[in-house]
Amino acid sequence: MLPKIQEAHGDAKFIFAGNERIVKIRHADITPLPYQNASSTIDVIVGYDKAGKAIIKSRTIIEEVHRFAHQASIIAMEEEFDVIHAHDWTSYLAGVAAKIASGKPLILHVHATSFDQAAGNNVDPAIYKIEKECFALADKVVAVSQFTKNIVVQKHFVPETKVEVVHNGCNIEEPKRLEPTLSELKRQGKKIVLYHGRITIQKGVDYFIRAAKRVVDVDPNVIFVVSGSGDMITQIIEMVGSMGLSKNVLFAGALWYEERDRMYQSVDLVVMPSVSEPFGLVPLEALQHGTPSIITKQSGVAEVLTHVLKVDFWDVDEMANQILSSLRYPVVRQQMVNEGKQQMQGMSWRQAATKMLAVYRNLVQYVTQ
Amino acid sequence: MLTVCPYFHVHQPYRIKKYKVFDIGNDSEYFNDDSETDLNNRRIVEKVANKSYRPTNKILKELLDNHPDFRFNLSFSGTVLDQFEAYTPDVLESFQELVATGRVEILADTYHHSLAFFYSLPEFKRQVQKHERRIKQLFEVKPRVFRNTELSYRNDLAKWCEDNGYVGIMAEGWEKYLGWRSPNYLYRPAGCKKIKVLLKNYKLSDDIAFRFGNKEWNDWPLNAETYADWIHSHHGDGETVNLFMDYESFGEHQWEDTGIFDFLRAMPEMVLRHPETSFKTATETIESYEATGEYDVPDVLTWADTDRDLTAWTGNDIQRDAIGAIYQMETEVMKTKNKNLIETWRKLQTSDHFYYMCTKWSNDGDVHSYFSPYQSPYDAYIAFMNALSDLQLRVSKEGTERDKKDAQKRVAKAVSKEKEPKKHSATVVLPESLGAISPIQPVKKKRWWQKVVDKIRSLEVPLIGK
Repeated sequence: MLPKIQEAHGDAKFIFAGNERIVKIRHADITPLPYQNASSTIDVIVGYDKAGKAIIKSRTIIEEVHRFAHQASIIAMEEEFDVIHAHDWTSYLAGVAAKIASGKPLILHVHATSFDQAAGNNVDPAIYKIEKECFALADKVVAVSQFTKNIVVQKHFVPETKVEVVHNGCNIEEPKRLEPTLSELKRQGKKIVLYHGRITIQKGVDYFIRAAKRVVDVDPNVIFVVSGSGDMITQIIEMVGSMGLSKNVLFAGALWYEERDRMYQSVDLVVMPSVSEPFGLVPLEALQHGTPSIITKQSGVAEVLTHVLKVDFWDVDEMANQILSSLRYPVVRQQMVNEGKQQMQGMSWRQAATKMLAVYRNLVQYVTQ
Repeated sequence: MLTVCPYFHVHQPYRIKKYKVFDIGNDSEYFNDDSETDLNNRRIVEKVANKSYRPTNKILKELLDNHPDFRFNLSFSGTVLDQFEAYTPDVLESFQELVATGRVEILADTYHHSLAFFYSLPEFKRQVQKHERRIKQLFEVKPRVFRNTELSYRNDLAKWCEDNGYVGIMAEGWEKYLGWRSPNYLYRPAGCKKIKVLLKNYKLSDDIAFRFGNKEWNDWPLNAETYADWIHSHHGDGETVNLFMDYESFGEHQWEDTGIFDFLRAMPEMVLRHPETSFKTATETIESYEATGEYDVPDVLTWADTDRDLTAWTGNDIQRDAIGAIYQMETEVMKTKNKNLIETWRKLQTSDHFYYMCTKWSNDGDVHSYFSPYQSPYDAYIAFMNALSDLQLRVSKEGTERDKKDAQKRVAKAVSKEKEPKKHSATVVLPESLGAISPIQPVKKKRWWQKVVDKIRSLEVPLIGK
């Protein structure tokens, strides 16, 4: 998952293979989001007319990706550096272009694949083509989980030895406690279960709603909060209506920063029902705020986090059973938080960075000057 | 003289199926999983019978036939005996044959492989008695030496055993309590006068039970000759080498391809080769040697992992919650006097359920580092608690029904006394407070001849006078 805003301007110091370098960062006007179809369009300011009005041009994301690659090759020829590290499909071509221009080793970092986005085999062929061809040209492919490595090996035919797994890390500082939200519901003795994430087919929100139905049939005192937005939102709202769940499912919109943290802290349980989740930071964020999670086995984070409940995304009955059981027996939630927090201490970003550095070192030692 | 006292523990629990919240109140079968997973008890018993019980018993029988000096001890949980009876009766018979030789001693145990001693003494006693009856019934012997679940032990348990007529008890020979002393002698439990404690030589026991097939181990591959040498090296600094292990070490924990069966087949002969070495059962060992010192264990000692305590069963919050909940039900369950409910409650006391909830080793992400049929300790806890909730429901239902019946009986009695002169009257006036409860109507029993008369009358045919 990319941060919502990437801000890096001017010069920045980076250490490559032990040598400190100043790197000039050129600001890009637009960051294409990787979680879109190749043919979707974005509006880009290409210049300003005499009156100072922006000239806006609509380009497809794939055009934008090619333009980005062209820019990257120019930068690569001008700048001094040792490794190229490109993240997700929208920057893979740029990475390859930089490699061709400079001859420097290329690492492609896979945070998600077209298979995750499609939640199945019905992938966007343009994106798949870029992924597959770029992986073939890369010196190393880094996957955020074994789960993702398996996809890259099986679906993109990348040799297993070329793929390294570097699990994502998480923030391990104790966050500040915020004024709780949904206090009226809590006062009424309701139990609250949260979904937080984009509302897309990949995220399995529909399975979450079906599990909610099963739960509410047994215990109408459980409230489900859906926080996020995405192309599936209308479908989900209709689904909630037709299942007669309007009283039990609340839509909170997309929550960020403090609002999101407040929500994490206020609910009793978080569910990450993803159909295909390369890593999945949600259960770790929830844990940091003292809330336990149910996650699907189809996620990368399931490989590193043991103090959660795990379920197959399609097993709605078991998902509902886990929701009801963990609400019923508070001791299990308490223990998952206590022990999970301890486990999180070993999952810092620093550790992920250390592993990444080792991958850099390994590549740089073979570079002939 | 040096003797070897081998003891194999035979046990299978009744694993709880994936019992869901939705099943509470609807499904009173907790142990009848019929899937292809390791929650299917029949499947497990049949599997282990093939891998371990049948081949091992065959070898043990041969060894007893070929070596008149070969002896060993067995202990069974009641839950495994019940499952043998139901699923693999031939295995039970083969055990009976072994015991019939008179050279295989059976130890006392709790029926349900429970930790009851540490939670409820009355329940513990009942389980030990039930176990004794079952052993008597199947093997026609009375155990004289006690071993508790997971070899758990404490001074007060030894005292209890002494007070209840046992001559010996088994425990882990752990440095914390032994100090510089050797486990290869008998000791007197602290606070006891007669009973002796046999201590497990964990180094030699675990060489077979845990390390045998481990290719990383310095002494791999271990052959019977070397092993016998290790035993013989204790000549002069010990009297008895106590080898305690799970029976399932043979063929199940250590698979056949490790060579464990060949090892077992050869071991007694190698041990007996040394002229001054032999085998003894637990009782024979106790009768042959004197206690050389005191074994003082004020805190619970078990044979489990490096901690040798109960933390694998009661180390975390969910374990303590679950085990606390089960023993909290005791009074209510016993009150029902319902055999089925009591038996189900006891099956839920089996220590394995709590072991599956252990999170001691899960922090490194390797959940498969210990044996559990559940995917995670939390799944185990949820299945257990849901089943327990259902049992609680059944127990309280039984309770209300019993109260109802009692009330009915009382009413019926009161009514029949009050209305003595108007016997068998059809209408009974109830006290208002009991209005909701209808008493059982006393039905007048018809005599046989009256039935005949009625029958004739019902024909409505004027028989006479035609």
